[in-house]
Amino acid sequence: MDIVGNLLNTLDQMVNDQFDSVEFKSFLGVPLTLERGRFYVIQNALYTSNRRDCWGYVQGSAPLAVKRVIWEHESDELINDPRAGMDHYALTVKQGEVIGLKAEDFETAEIPPMVRSCFYAWHHIALRSHWLTAYTASHMLERRNNGKIVKGGGMSYRVGKKFENELGINLKKMISLDVHVVADTEHSENISEMFGRYVKTTEDRDFVLQGARDSMAIDRAYRGALGFYMAQIQ
Amino acid sequence: MEAAVSIESMWAELEQFQSAPFKRLLGAKFTKARAQQFSIQMAYYVQNRRDCWGYVQGSAPLDVKQLIWHHEEDELIGQKAQGKVDHITLAVKEGEVLGLSAEAFERTARLEGGEVCFSAWIRLAQRPWLEAIGGSAILEMRNSGELIQGGSLSYRVGAILERDLGIPMKKQINNAEHVVMDLEHAHLLMQVARKHATTDAARAAILRGASESLMIDRVYRGHLADLVESLP
Repeated sequence: MDIVGNLLNTLDQMVNDQFDSVEFKSFLGVPLTLERGRFYVIQNALYTSNRRDCWGYVQGSAPLAVKRVIWEHESDELINDPRAGMDHYALTVKQGEVIGLKAEDFETAEIPPMVRSCFYAWHHIALRSHWLTAYTASHMLERRNNGKIVKGGGMSYRVGKKFENELGINLKKMISLDVHVVADTEHSENISEMFGRYVKTTEDRDFVLQGARDSMAIDRAYRGALGFYMAQIQ
Repeated sequence: MEAAVSIESMWAELEQFQSAPFKRLLGAKFTKARAQQFSIQMAYYVQNRRDCWGYVQGSAPLDVKQLIWHHEEDELIGQKAQGKVDHITLAVKEGEVLGLSAEAFERTARLEGGEVCFSAWIRLAQRPWLEAIGGSAILEMRNSGELIQGGSLSYRVGAILERDLGIPMKKQINNAEHVVMDLEHAHLLMQVARKHATTDAARAAILRGASESLMIDRVYRGHLADLVESLP
């Protein structure tokens, strides 16, 4: 198989392996209460903001053609996703209404220490790495949310199902999670196409793998941290 | 409001166009060979702007990210509904009236001094966001005919090409576009300053970034003047 085909298979394996990690199992194993659900939804909005930071940085360092792909990607995220009729941050805030959250709850939210550390780590990769590493690090978080690749469903789908099964809130009512089940599938496919164009050598491949490994490690730490904080909420 | 006023007044004080490098560049006679090399290097400048605005978008608050995203539409994508192409394509297309092919842009290296200035601008774009946005937005203000007495840089370069090479401004599609677009883009910093520059420290940060960027801009124009003067 060619270098890109092998690489994509490896990336697929890595995003599937995330769900077997102790951190992911711990996070997804914490029983949801309404308070824990509120905490998660607020933290997810902050995570979405961090994604906007990182994609901006990646756009800064990427070649022109890739900048354009990222700009298109950010259209849904930052300006308006036609699937939802609003940008993804507004969507998360709106989703909060279902579980009794107000816009002020998002504005005044604190970022817990272990989560903050993960956000800074993602910033660091996005700002300081080779562009292929930075690009892959951000892409992997959407690939990990792609239900066509992750057996058993991506993260948004699984969390949405927890809200449904444990709190009785239909996934369709969790509008942000529901949109991301579809949006991240499309996003990860569009972004992934660039590997075919730019990965030509083993050095290119290694830049990609570096970004994938680092981002998935931070993602595990992040999910572990969320699980830890959620478990503290009685 | 106060921040916006002080940024506008800073412009008058700095007098970018009265600086030696700007005078040298804008005082040169443009032959075809000089105009060609200048045009190619300016395409690299436009690309560096795209790098920097990406970094600024990364560090800015959400509402400012959205402003920058809209700004980058003209630059990076174009306005398809109006039949307008992105500004890099526009720069290459403008090269055709100077006898340049797309390959000429691809095979000509960046000016060494330009490379150094581009790195300096990137470093500035990676600083805290108020400094970073001051650094990038001031270059659009410097290109606004509303703010600059005697015309913006794009306008002045366009006038030189018309005078020395007989190319009418309307055929200089890139310069002509920037004469119009940067009027609009120049307002971005004012919008941001009115909302976010609410403390002395915030205003100082914007001014610091703007001032540093104008300094790099003078150095860059000096290198362009060297290039132009080295050619027949």
